[in-house]
Amino acid sequence: MALRGVWQLKKLIVSYCDWGGSSRGIRAFMESELPTFKEKNPQLELVTELIRGQHPHLKAFYKNKNERVVCVKNMTPEDILLHATRLRNALGRKVVKLKTRHVTKHPSVQGTWTTEVKY
Amino acid sequence: MAHRRCIQSLVRHATALISLKKSPPISFYEILTPKPNTVIATTNLEPSWFTPWSHIRHFSSRKSDDSNDEEDVEESSDEETENDEVAADLGRYNSPEEKEAEAAAIGYKVVGPLQRSDRVFKDYEPVFAVVQIGSHQFKVSNGDSIFTERLKFCEVNDKLILNKVLFLGSSTQTIIGRPILPDAGVHAVVEEHALDAKVIIFKKKRRKNYRRTKGHRQELTKLRITDIQGIEKLEIITDGKPLKAAVKKTEKVVTTA
Repeated sequence: MALRGVWQLKKLIVSYCDWGGSSRGIRAFMESELPTFKEKNPQLELVTELIRGQHPHLKAFYKNKNERVVCVKNMTPEDILLHATRLRNALGRKVVKLKTRHVTKHPSVQGTWTTEVKY
Repeated sequence: MAHRRCIQSLVRHATALISLKKSPPISFYEILTPKPNTVIATTNLEPSWFTPWSHIRHFSSRKSDDSNDEEDVEESSDEETENDEVAADLGRYNSPEEKEAEAAAIGYKVVGPLQRSDRVFKDYEPVFAVVQIGSHQFKVSNGDSIFTERLKFCEVNDKLILNKVLFLGSSTQTIIGRPILPDAGVHAVVEEHALDAKVIIFKKKRRKNYRRTKGHRQELTKLRITDIQGIEKLEIITDGKPLKAAVKKTEKVVTTA
């Protein structure tokens, strides 16, 4: 997730509940893997937020003002790390089906072929 | 009968290997009567000594016909090869860097170091290359983006060199590879590892009460091509389509080593 070398994920909010059972995984994640994740990504602003009585989720804010929310209720810490890594690896673009696998601004170097081309 | 065949193959093999390896210490007599020292010696030479043996074994199911003397040796050699294969499969996940380099070669990419304030993103140059990644081929130029299947051993913001280049072209010159060009390289930077949009795989058989729904998201990697090497780049300002009649194109056919 880096457009021309610039990381696109600005902020990641880790919301959890200290009482609920669905937050067990994310509480374990915050103890075990969150510090290493934070060190690996110094450009990322990581915030932990306490929301009581709600299911836990990860909120990602991208440079193109896009927000992605991933609910991590009842997940193991490894799964939560995977989701957090995926959020970090992605650009903030909308998830739509790809039109082409090759995006270019200059489709032709030697000239587009037409029937009039003579070599 | 089986014994004679086995011994004949033994003789053939041992002579061949002795001539190659010059390992006189183990003679046929010692193999046929296993003593502790010879068994240890054979295990030392295991990979080189017995792998041709196991090739011959594949053609005939002689394992049951073997004499008891050969069985011990055979079993240990089979175990050794199995262990080697298992180790090779797990090798990628234990991340020895040689294994990663091999796997990267299978996908035709070489991971370079991470970027660190390099001026990699240049302006457009009128040069293109046809590069192959995995089983897909793309015609790329400077500054293009490519979506490929997820490349396993690279992180975001990694520099890659795609070394399977099949074709190079500029406005005055084309170089054709047969099938690849050995000295050409295409530099790319990993932009993202993301999931594609969800496709729903729906199966139905009508009037048979059968309906299945499955969701699938493909893992993709977006690469940005930064540089193409292996061809002369002339400093020509691109103005739309260059004149086809006036430009002389020299074709150069390159054979692979």
